[in-house]
Amino acid sequence: MPLKIKIESLGIHLPEKVLTTEDLLSVCRSRPRVDLEKVTGIAQRRVAVDEYAADLAVGAARRALAMSRYAAEDLDAVVCTSISKHHRPDEFSFEPATAVLVRRAIGAKKALVFDVVNACAGLLNGIWVLQGLIRSGAIRRGMVVSGEQNMPLAWTATREVRHSLDRQLAALTLGDCGAAVIVDASPDEKHGFHWLDLVTGARHDHFCYSKPSARGKGGILITKARGLQIEGNRNFPAYLKQALDGTGWDLNDVHHIIPHQVSTRAIRQGIRAVGRFMGCDLPDVFLCHAETYGNTTTASHLLALHDFMLKGRIRSGQNVLLVSGASGIVISHATFTLDDLPERYLSHVNGGA
Amino acid sequence: MRRCRIESLGVSLPRRRLFRWGSLQHAVEAGDRCLAASRYKPSDVRVLVNAGVHRDEHVCEPAIACYVQNALGINVDFHGRRTLAFDLLNGGVGMFNAAHLLTAQMLAGEIQVGMVVASEVNSDRRPDPESTFVPSGAALLLDLSPRNGAGFGTFVFETREENADLYTSVVCLKEPRGRLLLRRRAELEDAYLAGAAAAVSEALSRDGLGPADIDLVVPAQVSPSFLARLPGAIGFPADKVADFTATLPDTLTTSVFLALDLARAAGTLAPGKRALLLACGSGVTVAAVTYRF
Repeated sequence: MPLKIKIESLGIHLPEKVLTTEDLLSVCRSRPRVDLEKVTGIAQRRVAVDEYAADLAVGAARRALAMSRYAAEDLDAVVCTSISKHHRPDEFSFEPATAVLVRRAIGAKKALVFDVVNACAGLLNGIWVLQGLIRSGAIRRGMVVSGEQNMPLAWTATREVRHSLDRQLAALTLGDCGAAVIVDASPDEKHGFHWLDLVTGARHDHFCYSKPSARGKGGILITKARGLQIEGNRNFPAYLKQALDGTGWDLNDVHHIIPHQVSTRAIRQGIRAVGRFMGCDLPDVFLCHAETYGNTTTASHLLALHDFMLKGRIRSGQNVLLVSGASGIVISHATFTLDDLPERYLSHVNGGA
Repeated sequence: MRRCRIESLGVSLPRRRLFRWGSLQHAVEAGDRCLAASRYKPSDVRVLVNAGVHRDEHVCEPAIACYVQNALGINVDFHGRRTLAFDLLNGGVGMFNAAHLLTAQMLAGEIQVGMVVASEVNSDRRPDPESTFVPSGAALLLDLSPRNGAGFGTFVFETREENADLYTSVVCLKEPRGRLLLRRRAELEDAYLAGAAAAVSEALSRDGLGPADIDLVVPAQVSPSFLARLPGAIGFPADKVADFTATLPDTLTTSVFLALDLARAAGTLAPGKRALLLACGSGVTVAAVTYRF
């Protein structure tokens, strides 16, 4: 039986400023007729003010370290998985790796550092990378961190969106957030990650992409949402079943399924696709809070974990399934059983508040 | 312990072409050559990592590895045989990081065959004069070596984050289509040499080797002045350090493997020989690893 890894600590850095979908639409040069809030279910999101992607990552990394039993110098690796690398206004930074900036800020003096980028599947991809490094004995523990300042893409969309079918519309669902986890080897077989699998169906690499705008300043996010959802929903339920089978669970063993928080509508469609594939009624285990935070891309799963642990929905000892669909198209699933993380997290956040 | 080896190496050399090639074309050319020289089929590749930094149109999503996977025809459909494709960014040492983590995945029993590709192109229509470099591509197919002792030794990465500002590359988004601004300060070469001295010493010590055990050092071809100072900094005689700077300019991420390809073609790295590979990049990070052929 291969060594299992577990989430030892979690840190979320949420900007304080709340921006409603109505307020975002009100600054569009050409306001789309579509009722975006009704279609996506996203009512608001957080927006970073006077801080940038690297700051969000550093903030989350510091919070994860604050509740961890490890000090920064104990970390053997820091892997940054952000897509957005807006470390300064009107700039996208490729070098140095964001992980270097995080290492410098937190003082992880001996950590191996690099960035892993795989769209919204990046964070699970980063955990998969650390799992291999830990299992091979190359490292003992590491941090995966994302600082997602996605709103610059939304601001470009407010300038460039022209109509209700505009392919930049999905950029208006984004939100900002920093998230970090520290992972290490699980001391027992019962807790930790049982299954962590990612697969890329590269034939579908054209449904979603981001690059600098050709029409003006800023970056753009182009999404062919319908095609992405159709292909995603056609293919992911089989991998979800495979994750359950590989773990030795059936749907009744799962306490919570956390999908990538794209929009409440996309999540509902995903649930229907799983129901069709399984041929049964699904238990009410899908968690969704996209209405409050929007799509925070790679930070999405950890933000949901944070939010539902604080609400008392996710508790120690429970079984969780993470589901992610990302541009590429990358389909990823992870199953894990929580140790006492929720209890420790609640006590840490409440104690620190 | 079994080692990970380079089963096949493919490169797309910088050369004049009638039409300018993009980063994807260079990556695919290198990947195709790599697969053609390999005993593996494309469908055997379980993980594909792209470590190239500068890409066509500065695309930042999806992973460029997805485009390469699609172009190379590596398990492009869901179900059946599967491939995971993702990007790893760490400047000039990215291919070393990718080889290191694929080695770990192989030793952990997760995968059997992995591929690392990288290509570097400044795709701007009017490139910033300080940000030009020669486009190229390189690809490695990695598997576990059937011969005891052949393959990579211990990977060592020496990061001096206090020097992070010596090398930056950003895309300025103030103008349409963005513009790559690559900035390397004058002190960078000194930082590389200091990092190289520490990384080489650590890599040799971890593998229980000395300079006399190394037949050839294959470093990133940063510049003629760097190559001139490198032997002194790492304690090797100059004739043991591969210097191709007369014909091969700095190609960033792909540099070490383009140099390795040239050294191999020159016949200096026969089976049984041992090389020391040395990469330098932003961070500032210097990576070193021994390799037994």
